[in-house]
Amino acid sequence: MKLLKAGRWITAAGLALLAGVYVRALVFTPVERFQGPAQKIFYVHVPAAWCAMLAMGLVGIAGILYLLLKDPRFDRFGEASAEVGTVFSMVMLTTGPIWAKPIWGTWWTWDARLTLTLFLFLLFLGLLLLRSAVTDPGLRARYSAVLGICGLVLLPFIHLSVYFFRTLHPQPIVLKPSAPSLPGPMLLTLLFSFAVFTILYVGFVTQRYALALLREQAEMGAGGGGGNA
Amino acid sequence: MPENIPQNAGFMIAAYTAAAVILVGYAVLLYRRTLKP
Repeated sequence: MKLLKAGRWITAAGLALLAGVYVRALVFTPVERFQGPAQKIFYVHVPAAWCAMLAMGLVGIAGILYLLLKDPRFDRFGEASAEVGTVFSMVMLTTGPIWAKPIWGTWWTWDARLTLTLFLFLLFLGLLLLRSAVTDPGLRARYSAVLGICGLVLLPFIHLSVYFFRTLHPQPIVLKPSAPSLPGPMLLTLLFSFAVFTILYVGFVTQRYALALLREQAEMGAGGGGGNA
Repeated sequence: MPENIPQNAGFMIAAYTAAAVILVGYAVLLYRRTLKP
């Protein structure tokens, strides 16, 4: 299947570029003098958070399109994006506390930003559990679409929570109305990492979408030709 | 400006290792799943 091969190649390229991000971040990007080397966690934590939010945003948009058009491709895409979003959420929720401990003195605090990102992760898990629990494909797609739209609604609250509430979490330094507040080499590393994580997201979703398609074809018994791919 | 930069490279290494394990682990898992759908 062409889609599967494409997904594998994109993922392989993404992983190779990820090695490049590691070298660039760890060796060639200056150490921030107040936070020390722990600040470099930023270059994996923030792009992972971006991909988790991108994944949920696209799950929500796919959900809206599925409810409007009843096209199974949107449901399949939503399923793929939800699973991949769960993986990036895990990276975000693992690297975040490891960064927080040396800087804030605590692994976790129940402030708005952190709690909402945990809620995002739980929404991803809920989506996956829902999909495995509901056997009727039509109902499964509809319920998943509604839950995905709820996730989409959550995203602006996550992004803006640092403005609305008192929180330890820093405010956005790139995705904000004014210019990014980072020195050039650090900004370059961050943008490189953003691009690589996005490539990885595309590779993972392409493979996961192809897997869903293969499973459907296997269930139908005769390998149906992939007309809706 | 602080005189000494904080010595916390262990946290950085832990975070980068965790991220690599999760991402590469998922890539391998996905590859294996697509071999036998």
